[in-house]
Amino acid sequence: MVNGILDYLWLVPALPLLGVVLNGAIALLVERPFLLKEAGLPLAGGHGAGHGSHDDAHGASSHGSAHGHHETPAYRKLVAFIAPGVVGAAFVVALLCVLSLASRPADGRTFVQILFPWIQAGSLLVPAALQLDPLSSVMALVVTGVGFLIHVYSVGYMSHERAFARYFVFLNLFMFAMLILVLANNYLLMFVGWEGVGLCSYLLIGFWYEKQSASDAGKKAFVANRIGDFGVLLAMFLVFWTFGSLTYTEVFAKVPLLRESGVLTTGLATVITLLLFLGATGKSAQIPLYVWLPDAMEGPTPVSALIHAATMVTAGVYMVARSSALFLLAPDTMMVVAVIGAVTAIFSATIGICQTDIKRVLAYSTVSQLGYMFLACGVGAFTAAIFHLMTHAFFKALLFLGSGSVIHALSGEQDMQKMGGLKKYVPVTFATMFVATLAIAGIPGLSGFFSKDEILWQAFSSSHGSPFLWGIAALAAGITAFYMFRLVFLTFFGKSRMDPEVEKHAHESPWTMTVPLMILAVLSVAGGWIGIPAVLGGSNLFEHWLAPVFHPVAAAGAAHGAEAAVHHPAALEIGLMALSVAIALCGIGLAYFLYRVRTGKPAEIAKQWPTLYDVVYHKYYIDEFYEWAVIRRIVTISIGLWEMFDALFIDGIVNGAADLVRAAGDRVRRLQGGVVGGYAFSLLAGAVLLVGYILYRSVVQ
Amino acid sequence: MFLGNLASLRYFLPEFAVTATILLLVVLHVVTKSPRSTASGFLSLLGVGAAIFLAGVAPAGAGRSIFEGMVAHDGFAVFFKVLTALATLVVIFMSMDSRDLAGRSQAEYYIFLLSTLLGMFLLSSATDIVMLYLALELVSIPSYLLAGYLKGQERSTEAAMKYVVYGATASGVMIYGFSILFGLTGSTQVAEIGRSLAAGKATLPMLLASVMVAVGFGYKIAAVPFHMWSPDVYEGAPTPATAFFSVGPKAAGFAVLVRFYYTVFAAADPGTGLWRLTSAVDWPFLFAALSALTMTVGNLVAVKQSNVKRLLAYSSIAHAGYMLMGFVLLSSAGIEAILFYLVVYLFMNLGAFYVVVLVSNATRGEEISDFTGLGSRAPFAAVALSIFLFALTGIPPFSGFIGKVYLFAEVIHRGVYWLAVVAALNSVVSLYYYTRIVRAMFFEEPKDASAIPVPAVSGALLVLLVAPTLILGVYWEPVARIAADSVRMLAF
Repeated sequence: MVNGILDYLWLVPALPLLGVVLNGAIALLVERPFLLKEAGLPLAGGHGAGHGSHDDAHGASSHGSAHGHHETPAYRKLVAFIAPGVVGAAFVVALLCVLSLASRPADGRTFVQILFPWIQAGSLLVPAALQLDPLSSVMALVVTGVGFLIHVYSVGYMSHERAFARYFVFLNLFMFAMLILVLANNYLLMFVGWEGVGLCSYLLIGFWYEKQSASDAGKKAFVANRIGDFGVLLAMFLVFWTFGSLTYTEVFAKVPLLRESGVLTTGLATVITLLLFLGATGKSAQIPLYVWLPDAMEGPTPVSALIHAATMVTAGVYMVARSSALFLLAPDTMMVVAVIGAVTAIFSATIGICQTDIKRVLAYSTVSQLGYMFLACGVGAFTAAIFHLMTHAFFKALLFLGSGSVIHALSGEQDMQKMGGLKKYVPVTFATMFVATLAIAGIPGLSGFFSKDEILWQAFSSSHGSPFLWGIAALAAGITAFYMFRLVFLTFFGKSRMDPEVEKHAHESPWTMTVPLMILAVLSVAGGWIGIPAVLGGSNLFEHWLAPVFHPVAAAGAAHGAEAAVHHPAALEIGLMALSVAIALCGIGLAYFLYRVRTGKPAEIAKQWPTLYDVVYHKYYIDEFYEWAVIRRIVTISIGLWEMFDALFIDGIVNGAADLVRAAGDRVRRLQGGVVGGYAFSLLAGAVLLVGYILYRSVVQ
Repeated sequence: MFLGNLASLRYFLPEFAVTATILLLVVLHVVTKSPRSTASGFLSLLGVGAAIFLAGVAPAGAGRSIFEGMVAHDGFAVFFKVLTALATLVVIFMSMDSRDLAGRSQAEYYIFLLSTLLGMFLLSSATDIVMLYLALELVSIPSYLLAGYLKGQERSTEAAMKYVVYGATASGVMIYGFSILFGLTGSTQVAEIGRSLAAGKATLPMLLASVMVAVGFGYKIAAVPFHMWSPDVYEGAPTPATAFFSVGPKAAGFAVLVRFYYTVFAAADPGTGLWRLTSAVDWPFLFAALSALTMTVGNLVAVKQSNVKRLLAYSSIAHAGYMLMGFVLLSSAGIEAILFYLVVYLFMNLGAFYVVVLVSNATRGEEISDFTGLGSRAPFAAVALSIFLFALTGIPPFSGFIGKVYLFAEVIHRGVYWLAVVAALNSVVSLYYYTRIVRAMFFEEPKDASAIPVPAVSGALLVLLVAPTLILGVYWEPVARIAADSVRMLAF
């Protein structure tokens, strides 16, 4: 116990795993028989197979209907206690560990805990080890902290769900995998977490698997992620091939040496980082692999908040930041990352303008905000990327949970055209969501402002940046402000467009849901204060905290943005800041004008430019394009391969070989006559043959 | 340096535990009124558990020769004692659950089982050919009784009969080989024999002896062409006994095979992890041929089987073939691979047999057709059996895959490429017949769709067998380390 609380770091992932085991036992042994009995099904066949119509968004089929008010079975209370409990405990342990880490000197803030030697094969030595350093501590705190709040929220949100325990098994499992991802000390263990969160994402998107669209969305997410994973795998092979190790500290320590000796050429670094980035585009929903994320909204809303906004989708950003030492060696990759990030940011923001499904607007917004983070990575501002990752986790989780609260209040309605005037029904939800909207729009003083502005400034001033990138990002910020306020105005203001039946039941959510909203609202406001830039009189604690992770790297690598920034006058920084705020205010103003003052105008505009509206409304027909350009091609080729290659050639070989084997088997089997005398003879004959054989060999020699 | 008889006793505690249990069982058999009482089963569990405990936490000073050089007390022997006792433990559980054995005298059955275990203990540690022969017979004779335990059932009686005749022939040939060795060297100590043979040059009697001994050991591990007995015995014997034969005596057979050939006909090159031949007998090549033959015949014939027990019998012949690959490489890593494979094989093979017991308890049949629709009739057992079968095939992420990786890696490392190719092709063939069972369980409609209940205790045991099969597929380091340590402690 030399390291105090840090020796208990393993508890951080272990606690959610304990939750998986306990809740898993409950789900299998208690809930499943219970649900089967309730459904009157004697055997397997999926829960609720008798209830075909889970068409409302949060599966609240019992909401106010016939079997709505029977007693809560005791096991549900137990699950509702265990699942958030283990995550909360993990948060406490993580917090104590981080505090203990913070008490160390800045250059000693890397703690590695080796759990057990995992793979030892030749020169490949991979331990199962955790690493807590400034970067992984930010991630661990965000994951466990936001995760805990969302678990609590889920208890309320899923209270009408039949497969309650199953849901929390998946959610706990996700926490475990995500914590392995961020706490791993090597690429391979990180990849285990990477795949684990992918699995949980798939399971939770398709949680209501009786619904075709939900299970399709799960599959889509899985396939899109596989494409990215292929990149990560190849990158890992290359890393091992180049560095002879997969452990972060060893790999990054060898960078200068191998760079000097010419083993690690810029070309090699470019290939490795591009492959890693391919993985990141899959996991973090960037062009060209972003298409799965909007569809992932088929999952329960807390899942969208936790996995598809706050944590899992930021794994790509984390990985890029973690590998910053490699990325800085590859200027071409940096440019690709920055451009893809910027283009994704503005591209998906424009799609957000025309969406009417509240969750889909938020989904495109997430894609767009992730684009910002990659833009930051691409210009070398990894600190800014992680900072925005954190603030985004707060306000986007809040937005999703708020939208969930709205959907909950409206018995599953997600279409903003059927909302309006909700302010008076769900005041807490409204107030908290409004705060989050201000934060994401970049209103000064709130968390989103500081992080987004840091990115904009770096995009402009860094040696990897350019005014052009700044322009795109600033424009995207204006659009973001516009569509977010459009969402707020359509949902909470104006006259009600609700179904009267739905309106009757509209209610504020229970405390388990509103309390997490309030906490997240506080974080959305104050979460950015730890990163107030020097030019505004702040001390930018956040950057100092992460400096040991990124600065040695930058020093060893190529030129670094932050140093270049020194040469820019403060007036320029302030000026650009003001400009971006002005752009955001324009967006808000436009939204106010179109959705509060001249509410008929949007429809007119749509009519005026029908083609433009149609293209944007249909998300630029990207899904259709993929369907035509990729999926249908693959299907055609697959059918060809199946009929020509597989059915004729491969099956021919396989069946031929199988026939041969069977025939041979038949022959050999006949040797076994079943007569015991024959057996004894065969033994002696075998012995004689062996003697003959060995004699022959020794004579030949 | 040999330890005298009395001083040796403290290194003989596991054997004492087993012997004491056998004696208690004899008493129990006489005093209990109901021969069907489960007390004898529990008593056996206790005795074997104690033996595992005593063997596993053996007193320090492993690597000594005890009982005047009759028996070795070394890491290698300890490994096999724990392994065979573990197999026996699982088989006792299976036996207590088996409907085949219900209604028959229990105590006698366990007496035979534990006597075999005692024989296996001695077989894996014997260093004197007289002791070795006695141990082999102590394994064989109770095995004959176990095979014929289902008195009144024709197949069982036939199995015992064939086993006796075949076993007698094999052990006759073997002891003839021993007598030649004694005649050549004037010693019964294997180490002494090895030294003497190394000094002389190859003679015809020496070649004859090496092959004749191979017959005896080949019979014990059921290597082709000395395998003929095993399908009939496996099919006729009560299923738990079959499971036992396929793991326990086979493992002990490998123990004695390795110890004997690596002492008599080879010597370690210190520090290299390699061994060299000391006599002109090219037995590695001989056994490489046997290995290829064994796995090929086992797999080919398994393809045509419709009885699951018989299929698993041939499959276990094939697995002996795979393990023989590690035997011919003259390297410590090869032996380590065998040891590791035996551990994973223990769990996956016993697991497969256990599901057969559970199914035949309900269906009274062991044909593949009795397994149709098991996926819906007993989903847990069906999934477990699928895991065992995939592990036996050697598909990742199950333990069998890692076992094969170790074997194949060392075969390739030592440059015996042709053998690796033969084994790889054989694995493909094995996939065919293992998946036939899986297909029957999940893709074919059962005649009778009623659920097959799996009692909680059986389910728990199944979990205990599935767990290592899964865990050793992803985290095998500790077992690999134990195997490596056991080989390092191979002392004579």
